[in-house]
Amino acid sequence: VPSPLAAIRAIALNTFREAIRDRVLYLLAAFALVLISVAHLLSLLTVGDEEKIIKDIGLSAISVFGVLTAMFVGVSLVFKEIERRTVYTLLAHPVERWQFIAGKFTGLLAVLGLNVGLMSAVLFLVLLARGEGAGSLPAAILLIFVELAVVTAFALLFSSLTNPILAALATFAVYVMGHLVWSLRLLGTRLHSAAGRSLCEIVYWILPDLGRLDLKAEAVHGQPLAAGHLLAALAYGVGYAAVVLWLACLAFARRDFR
Amino acid sequence: LIRARRWGTPLLLLALGGLTGSARVRLERLPGRSAEQELLYLPNGRHLKVLSLGHAGLLADGMYLWAIQYYSNYDRQDRFRYVEHVFDAVITELDPHYVDAYWLGALILILEAGDVEAGVRLLDKGATRNPEAWMLPYLAAWECYHAGQYARAAAYFERAARIPGADPVVHRMHAGMFAKSGDLRRAVLLWRQILDNPESDAASRAIARRQVRELMVRADVRELERAVERFRSETGQSPRGLEQLVAAGYIDRLPRDPDGRDYAYEPATGRVVPPAGRVLGVR
Repeated sequence: VPSPLAAIRAIALNTFREAIRDRVLYLLAAFALVLISVAHLLSLLTVGDEEKIIKDIGLSAISVFGVLTAMFVGVSLVFKEIERRTVYTLLAHPVERWQFIAGKFTGLLAVLGLNVGLMSAVLFLVLLARGEGAGSLPAAILLIFVELAVVTAFALLFSSLTNPILAALATFAVYVMGHLVWSLRLLGTRLHSAAGRSLCEIVYWILPDLGRLDLKAEAVHGQPLAAGHLLAALAYGVGYAAVVLWLACLAFARRDFR
Repeated sequence: LIRARRWGTPLLLLALGGLTGSARVRLERLPGRSAEQELLYLPNGRHLKVLSLGHAGLLADGMYLWAIQYYSNYDRQDRFRYVEHVFDAVITELDPHYVDAYWLGALILILEAGDVEAGVRLLDKGATRNPEAWMLPYLAAWECYHAGQYARAAAYFERAARIPGADPVVHRMHAGMFAKSGDLRRAVLLWRQILDNPESDAASRAIARRQVRELMVRADVRELERAVERFRSETGQSPRGLEQLVAAGYIDRLPRDPDGRDYAYEPATGRVVPPAGRVLGVR
């Protein structure tokens, strides 16, 4: 009987290889090309600080490409195994169901880590070529990665519950809500009923507040962060992803394969 | 039949392509929306920020680049109608720390649309949100200066000069503005501060040294000529020499130029002239 960690590692490695074979890395080549050409184009179009625009484009691209990868690869991971019936072979081995989900999560996170790492390297190189340092961009990128971990966990949770299309929609909905949770507070202040207000407050605290993981503006403008901001955001994001992953494991454990 | 099939499909495809292409050309030739219509529906930046899902900075960049292209197209006559909306309500609301957008928007408002007040308002907003950007009050000062509002310009230069890291030229302009507005003594005081500041660069120091000399002479000449004027209006005749002004109590003592030389006086015109050999800044 393999140790749980060995099982997770094996599944993660397999997931990673599969994603690479699926040409996820083509995204990176596209990113590098777009960023470099945009950098040259902008010098013709803008007035003033070109590096600001390059940083904005770079960070947003890392975030958007990452979310798309997490969403679409994430929802198809579990589904593919079930559709191809490889999940039966896999679960016939001494592998717990939660180890399967944890392995998938780790593997996809490794792919996303590679994505984010390579894209950041391109961004830093472009900035370096223009005599600009990285500043606090790494902190912002780290939190983008944490946001991707949360999105991946949701993608796995939903794909353990339903079909890929619905799961992708639900994951996207979580992403959108995650950037708009502050509006629940606003809604709460406009409500007359106390029950409605407390409901808004409860949902406000339960939903993932992905806006809290967004340090892009601070990094681009080189503004100082409040003490403990980065650490608290890290703890929040990692903790949230862990809880959702746990729920995904539970959901997958209860799933009935036919 | 085989030949018909072989040629039929490509021909049909070609015909369909041609139809689509001609429809496209027709659409292109239809009268487009006017510039005004394009901008009428541009939402407020605070609303766009919500829709951007955390990518407000990128959206601000896009709007900024678009605005640069739009406002550098000189074909449109009515294009300045919404310029304040674009920069004030959209771009700088999306990204409140986009310093470039404040000054570029202000320049377009002032130089192209001719609305100094709106431009200065935008610069004020930028300076409040970005207290470290000395460029914004500095630019506001210049615009007030060009509009002939010297006292207001001096106040903006003062605000810019107080920001740590402001370029030496800001301090020099600050002093120069008081000279321009006629407050020569205060200008001398500020130039002296630049001269005495150990952090001043060599160029600023050289300029300050020259300015102090020149302004002191100008202030002296102005004071003497005013005394002469008062003497004339009260006694009905011109003083014979400058010493008479001291004797009659119009001034306490006769000033000398920075080299210790006396000022000359022309009784016929009532003009006071700095010692010969120097052309001084009576502009």
